Amino acid sequence: MSIGRDGIAGLILLAISLVLLVKSFQLPSIPIVPVGPGFYPAIVLSFMAVASALLVVQDLLKRRAPASAGASDAPRRNYRLVVIAFAVVGAYVVLLPLLGFRVATALFVGTLQAALGRPRTAQQWMVLAAIALGTAAASYFVFERYLLVLLPRGTWTGF
Amino acid sequence: MLDLLANGLVNIAQWKYLLPLFAGTFVGVIGGSLPGVTITMTVIVVLPFTYGLDPLAGLAAMTGVYVGGSTGGLIAACLLGIPGSPASIATTFDGFPMARNGEPGRAIWLGVWASVWGGLIGAMFLVFLTGPLAAIALEFGPWEYFSLFVLAMAMVAGLSEASLLKGLISTAIGLLISMIGHDPIGSVPRFTFGSEFLGGGFPFLPVLIGVFAFAQIMTDLEKLDLPRGKVVESLAGIRLERFSHLKANREIFRQPFLLAWSTIVGLFIGILPAIGGSASSVMAYDQAKKFSKTPERFGKGHPEGIIASEASNNANVSGSLMTIMAFGIPGDAVTAVMLGAMTIHGIQSGPLFISQNPDIAYGIYAAYILAHPFMLLICVVLMPLMLRVITVRMAVLAPVVLVLCVLGAYALNNTMQSVYVLLLFGVVGYVLVKLGFPLAPLILGLILGDQIEINLVRAMMTDADPWLFLTRPISGGLLLAAALSVALAIWQHLRHQNRVAEEGPDF
Amino acid sequence: MARTFVTVAGIAALTGVLAALSAPAMAQYPDRPIKMIVPWAAGGDTDNIFRPFAVEFQKHIGQPVVIANVGGASGTTGAREARNAAPDGYTVYAVHDYIHLTFFAGISDVKYSDFEPICLVAATPSVLTASAKTPWKTWQELTADAKKRPGEITVGATLGSTSHIFPAMVEKAAGLKFKYVSYDGLAPRMNALLGGHINLTDSNLTQKGKVEAGLLRFIAIASEKRDPESPDVPTLKELGMDIVYEVARGLMVPKGTPAPVRAKLEEGCAKASREPSFAQAMKLQGTRVAFLNASDYAKFLARIDNENKAVMTDLGLIKK
Repeated sequence: MSIGRDGIAGLILLAISLVLLVKSFQLPSIPIVPVGPGFYPAIVLSFMAVASALLVVQDLLKRRAPASAGASDAPRRNYRLVVIAFAVVGAYVVLLPLLGFRVATALFVGTLQAALGRPRTAQQWMVLAAIALGTAAASYFVFERYLLVLLPRGTWTGF
Repeated sequence: MLDLLANGLVNIAQWKYLLPLFAGTFVGVIGGSLPGVTITMTVIVVLPFTYGLDPLAGLAAMTGVYVGGSTGGLIAACLLGIPGSPASIATTFDGFPMARNGEPGRAIWLGVWASVWGGLIGAMFLVFLTGPLAAIALEFGPWEYFSLFVLAMAMVAGLSEASLLKGLISTAIGLLISMIGHDPIGSVPRFTFGSEFLGGGFPFLPVLIGVFAFAQIMTDLEKLDLPRGKVVESLAGIRLERFSHLKANREIFRQPFLLAWSTIVGLFIGILPAIGGSASSVMAYDQAKKFSKTPERFGKGHPEGIIASEASNNANVSGSLMTIMAFGIPGDAVTAVMLGAMTIHGIQSGPLFISQNPDIAYGIYAAYILAHPFMLLICVVLMPLMLRVITVRMAVLAPVVLVLCVLGAYALNNTMQSVYVLLLFGVVGYVLVKLGFPLAPLILGLILGDQIEINLVRAMMTDADPWLFLTRPISGGLLLAAALSVALAIWQHLRHQNRVAEEGPDF
Repeated sequence: MARTFVTVAGIAALTGVLAALSAPAMAQYPDRPIKMIVPWAAGGDTDNIFRPFAVEFQKHIGQPVVIANVGGASGTTGAREARNAAPDGYTVYAVHDYIHLTFFAGISDVKYSDFEPICLVAATPSVLTASAKTPWKTWQELTADAKKRPGEITVGATLGSTSHIFPAMVEKAAGLKFKYVSYDGLAPRMNALLGGHINLTDSNLTQKGKVEAGLLRFIAIASEKRDPESPDVPTLKELGMDIVYEVARGLMVPKGTPAPVRAKLEEGCAKASREPSFAQAMKLQGTRVAFLNASDYAKFLARIDNENKAVMTDLGLIKK
């Protein structure tokens, strides 16, 4: 009997629901309202706790075919790119208020494109740069000038 | 009513509405045709552009996306055998074999015309039935709303393919996300752990954009450097053979019952809260096969299969629009985004929507109707372009889509907070997908969370008797239906498990 | 070829944009667009009042005034953002009475005194409104019935906000006992009132069309005098209750904004609120134009703050 991915997910969710369940009993009640702000969360969280526990049980009981390691896992998946993509998006979100929308966006689009498919020729680099600058400029123009959405200014660049 | 509709059509025939509608339809067809870009994602991408527009212009654009997307998916479905959007999943069953048999043009134009007719028949229901539906909705008190929401969640959780348990947990996670921040009744801080970030709560649109768009894009990136050349090559040689539009129409109208029934199935699934186009396409296909005189020809390039799937997924759009307009409840993730956009413009959808905003309501009807000829025009004129578009590289597409996601979150209320929420839930959504949790129930839980709580508390504040949920006839009936649908799902899963027995790990 | 052209055009366009937008600032105030934070969703009452106002305001201030709807947490998100904005006059905050209430209710840590007042713009009188499914045509019938069954008349209200405080004041003055049901925002309250799921609620004259159609009934208005557009609706004062309740909306800026900047804004506000087209727009909102200059507005805010504190204490809703 060993625990699988579902079991671990179930345990984490069970822990979260139990912690929040305790919290929901501590919430203050409001005058006039017959049930406090913890009433409904308690219902949902109890339900979630039970379901998560069931998931753990189901996982433990499941007879696992002795899976011959994950390597044979049908289509090969490239998790490296996913991690990189998340990191680049993360950096973009952090830099957005510092560099301002225009600079950060141009950098982001360029970097992520290069990371996902490295251009090889000078011309491909040009296309990449054009898409990056074009996205930043076009979205800035459309939103700030035409749709009247004030986009973030950079606190470092003031731009 | 017809005069109001005529007014709506005249009103929409202004450049400031026609242009967004046309642009929306165009983007919808393109987005729908790109495998890996769903209609939901397309509407998310269009969302930030609508913030600054006149409300009807924004809604017209989104209606266009919805209609265009529901059709666009069939191009990839027929040519690549991959549904361009989930709503055209059943189109692959017969569209791809037909294209393989050397009739790609027939497959595509049958699908396009079936979409047009399915959508237009759906429009009649939309125009004539939304009003009566709204009158019923007005009689819904907090008890009925609560029970309706419970039914919606039970049905969606039951539909999830992987496991009912995971579907239910997903729903609960969605509900939980909506609880964080402040409680909707007395604004008491809840589960904030003293942090200002959590105190702001998680506004629904950034969460939805994060969960949907990121999970989708990141899952596509996993497969990015796998050889895609084969697909491109196979497509490079494709030329649509000449297929007369008249012939396509004749083929469709030879079986009026098939068209009508597929439309009604799509419409009905659309009206049910939170069940989208993919369910209606599969369901209509299934029905068509059952009623057909030649069921054995399905799956081998039978025109009936294409007609059923495509007519129903466009009719599904009109059903979903009915539900948001009459009840103020989203019929699926696309209409959830539309509802969010309405809220941003301060338009309260619900039973009074049509009577209070007749211009907008009839404008949406008109936009929906007009979107169909637009979609047809775009397909006819731009089909060669579309054949190239469906092979655009993800490496180019992904960054631009992500920028628009960030913009959509930021412009929602002009704060970075929403962007942080977007990123957080992008990660959460991706992890949940990897763990095999379906996202649709999560989104539904998130959308309905506040409303369920509010209606529950309202009911208790109006009358302390909890049995009213069961003794009020409509409310009791809805709860019974919810219980039945969970029971049915359990029964089906058990039957399925016995048959399939052991099939190794289900990743 | 085409690709090269696009590239070049893109770069050229971008250079142009960057040059145009990075022009040095620091001339006379205001030299760039002003952001007006409306702490509620677009299309709500507050938004409907400040959008036409912004149109007139920017005419007199000489720079575009961009409305930013920063909604969330009962208006607190917008309040926090306005408080934390740079005090340079490029962020103005469109506010109404909720700022007092959310503070006392402990929902928000932002107090009205975190800002400098600029001007009061408009005031919307509250109207006590009944469902057409109730038997009451007049205030007298309502009170007679309510006295018979205390605690059974349901009132839809945004708890702890203006739509709760107003009926609560009526309740107290008339010696009645209502049962409150949480309905946030005017539109859901109207749905519930039409469906007969609640008996009474606070609304305003924008709902006149439904009254004329017989879908609901105005019982009494909380203004000094009867409204010329709805002369049949009695004031609460006529009915013997000393209640005038209007939702007052004005402009404020973060504390520390220089006096000359404030003076400029105040001047623009005064001129904008005198525009006939603004008065016309307010008529549609069931609202009267109620300009007060900065010093009068400051006094007004202090008075309202005390009043609200007293009412909230009576209701047992006070946390601070």
